[in-house]
Amino acid sequence: MKKLITLFVLLALCICVRAQKKDTVKTVSSADSLMNSLSADDDKHQKTLATFSATRLIFSPTTETVKKNNLNFLVIHRFGDVGTPTGGPRTFFGLDAVNDVYIGFEYGITDNLQVMVGRSTIGQIGETQLKYAILHQTSDNSSPLGITLLGGEGIRPYGSFGSFSDRLSYIGEAIFSRKFSSALSLEVLPIFVQNNQQIPDLPGNEQGFFSLAAAGRLKVTKHMSLLVDYEHPFSNYSTKANGFEDPLGFGAEFETGGHVFTLNITNARAVSQINTLSASQASYGNGQFRFGFTISRMFDFNHKKDTEKKW
Amino acid sequence: MKYLSILLLAWLPFARAGQDIYICKNAKINIYSSAPVEDIEANSTNVVSVYNATTGEIEFSVLIRTLHFEKALMEEHFNEDYMESDKYPKATFKGVMEQKPDLTKDGEYPVKVTGDFEVHGVKQTRTINGTVKVSGNTVTMTSEFMVKCADHHIVIPQVVFHNIAESIRIRVSATYAPYKAN
Repeated sequence: MKKLITLFVLLALCICVRAQKKDTVKTVSSADSLMNSLSADDDKHQKTLATFSATRLIFSPTTETVKKNNLNFLVIHRFGDVGTPTGGPRTFFGLDAVNDVYIGFEYGITDNLQVMVGRSTIGQIGETQLKYAILHQTSDNSSPLGITLLGGEGIRPYGSFGSFSDRLSYIGEAIFSRKFSSALSLEVLPIFVQNNQQIPDLPGNEQGFFSLAAAGRLKVTKHMSLLVDYEHPFSNYSTKANGFEDPLGFGAEFETGGHVFTLNITNARAVSQINTLSASQASYGNGQFRFGFTISRMFDFNHKKDTEKKW
Repeated sequence: MKYLSILLLAWLPFARAGQDIYICKNAKINIYSSAPVEDIEANSTNVVSVYNATTGEIEFSVLIRTLHFEKALMEEHFNEDYMESDKYPKATFKGVMEQKPDLTKDGEYPVKVTGDFEVHGVKQTRTINGTVKVSGNTVTMTSEFMVKCADHHIVIPQVVFHNIAESIRIRVSATYAPYKAN
């Protein structure tokens, strides 16, 4: 009897051992599943990249900021009217005339904080701005929006003003953006402008007023996008009766390496938001629209790190 | 009877309790391409790899977003325009080592690994040469090979052609530790 039991136990053991051998088939997928478990939390809170390709669209800034130690050089043009008597083929559809030229620099203090210095022809307004990205959209939607705050100041050093402080204007805005897909990104901007002296300086005009802007970009090819930009100032003075029309622009953006080029058509003559929101008296209906372009070039001032690690 | 029990007992030494698995969670990868205007180089230290010393199976996986460039703009374009890393977040390699080296003996062994290399959603079957270095309990594997952008449908538009070479040099280095299953 004992012998039988011992034999039986041994047999059982051997069967168990043989069964384990069959596990070789399972380990094909166990290596796979091991890989999967090792890389399980890879994608958590991945920041969405490049909601927009540039730091501004047509009128509106975007939630993008210049990266640390990078300098963005901007030249923005708005030409003359296309459809008014000063326009037409003779002046090459307004290209002969210059309505506004903006030259500015944006510098990345950190990856999320940039400072801007720029100057426009209209009003000879010199501006400085700080732009801070407080929230980034993430790919797992734990953060569905990107939010950037912008605060700026403009000064008009020329012309006669009552006092020095009358030369100053202020702008503050919050930019909310969302990258819906690799092709479509939209943003909404509540803006507050304060002009110590109204722009234009006419009785009844408001010094401080809110505005709302909305803009979007649709990627058509890897390097080309279509843009729309619209601003609506909530000012009792900026009415159609007074000759104002909400700035509305359409554009195409081309991205190549370190340059971003934008070609656009706008009614508003100005580049700076302080000007476009305060004093846009140009109407598509009257032929008062124009071509414009933006050239931006990114310079990287980071020192070459020793990336050739020991291999 | 006796002989039967001895025979049955004889099975036991051939028992295999488990497989010999080695893992590496922070292998390094370097990608480099030389072109007239600008050299393109990126590094990642987040490559995950599993090696089954019993079957010779080897797997690598890296998140494209963990490849870091010196220039932030270059990294943005790399992910956004060329690798489309929101669509294809990972590059992987799954293959088998043809002649498994003896990991109990210290030394350097040249090896060949054959398998599927998937980048930008496109798989290519490749045989890649590498070196396995055994030193005590650690196993280190290194390899260097070239990848053609066109093989994986990575399109380089004519406008930026001068910047980016058509072949990229990849260097991988992984130091493995034995994996104890729980």
